[in-house]
Amino acid sequence: MKQMEGKKEVILKTPLSVEEIKFLRAGDKVHLNGVIYVARDLTHQRLIEDLEKGKELPFSFSGSVIYYAGPTPARRGEIIGSIGPTTSSRMDKYLEYFLQKGLRATIGKGERREEVKELLEKYGALYLLACGGAAAYLSTFVVEKEVLDYEDLGAQALLRLKVEQFPLLVAYDAQGGDIFKEGKIKYRNLALYNEY
Amino acid sequence: MKELEFQEIVQQVEKALEELNIISPQLLREKMLEALAAEENDLAREMLSQVMENYVVAEERHLPLCQDTGMVMAKVEKGEEIRIKGGSLRQALDEAIRRAYKNNYFRKSIMSDPFFGKNTGDNTPGVYFFELEEGDELRIDLLVKGGGCDNISSLGILEPGSKPEEVERFVLRELDTKGGQACPPLIVGVGIGGNAPYALYLASRALSRPLGEANPDPRYRELEEKWREDINRLGIGPQGVGGKTTCLEVRIETYPCHIASFPVGLVCSCHVFRQKTLKW
Repeated sequence: MKQMEGKKEVILKTPLSVEEIKFLRAGDKVHLNGVIYVARDLTHQRLIEDLEKGKELPFSFSGSVIYYAGPTPARRGEIIGSIGPTTSSRMDKYLEYFLQKGLRATIGKGERREEVKELLEKYGALYLLACGGAAAYLSTFVVEKEVLDYEDLGAQALLRLKVEQFPLLVAYDAQGGDIFKEGKIKYRNLALYNEY
Repeated sequence: MKELEFQEIVQQVEKALEELNIISPQLLREKMLEALAAEENDLAREMLSQVMENYVVAEERHLPLCQDTGMVMAKVEKGEEIRIKGGSLRQALDEAIRRAYKNNYFRKSIMSDPFFGKNTGDNTPGVYFFELEEGDELRIDLLVKGGGCDNISSLGILEPGSKPEEVERFVLRELDTKGGQACPPLIVGVGIGGNAPYALYLASRALSRPLGEANPDPRYRELEEKWREDINRLGIGPQGVGGKTTCLEVRIETYPCHIASFPVGLVCSCHVFRQKTLKW
């Protein structure tokens, strides 16, 4: 662990425990290792439909990480195409359902609804920020890919990825900390704020 | 009457779509480097460094810069004295998209119908705006952007007689609440005038111009510069982590407007600005 400008830099390995994530704060840098699951809009809908029908999933949500993304197709011989984060707020409505099942972190981009922070505190979970639009670069941290289900959804299929040193920032921590709010307050010109 | 081969258009557009999805323009790279030098926030610098790394990896591995390879928009200015031999322009654009997105393993993100459709499987159709002009020239401005930044588009219905400051306030308010989700630093298009749908079109059209193309009217050039500086005072920063760079360029396009209305369209592009202009 490296201490810089009051922020930590840590290496995490999935599955994540409540204890290790509670120690992190918004703005900390994370290098993530291990298995993560890729799911976005329709993937979430399908997962919930299937779980409600009592279907067994091929993995456990306990300590799991979901990456909100939809990659480009892989070329022959490649593991995956480009894979950057999609806008997380669209998945806010599904979040609590999966937190209840043990989901420990989500990865995406952009601010989310205020309630998300309360949910993360309640269940002890993180929201991690990946750099949007750095999709080719981020694909270089993916070492394995497997399509788990919903192949008919194309770019929205449920994937299992293995990542090594995947570069992330803690966007919302489990104590209500918010990288977007903190950043904006610090770098905002307040005169303008009052003006408009 | 000048004639142009259908296949010639398909080939040129296909090549342009391949390139713009993989290679960032030099001017964009320079702007990002300037932003990196100006940022004091370590987290903002981290985001911009990854953006710059991405340019290198995408080009070396022939990968799209962003996984969201968008819905292709084309603004077409066609002279009345030029004819396409062997098919229509719309067919040529669709065919170019089909080939570029299949051959280069770009993502296919288009649903055939909002309610009842399924993925078209080849990223067609694009969204096309045709404008008929005098003469025998053809100009196609291609713009590719993802859903994330398109989702912050907005229409403001302001009062007739609004001043530039009031339009700026509308722009600032919209970007303050939604800008961080759209992958800043942004290119911001503002369309003012016409009717409501036309104001949004003007904003999109403003984005479809090449980077760094100055507004020919010095009064608007001045406004663009001021609005850019003020947007950057919002503090949103790269990816919303806080910082000085929220906007790289503001572009304003205007049109005459009705005495009773004052529509303002706001449409943005994320930092992965993907644009090409083709001329015949």
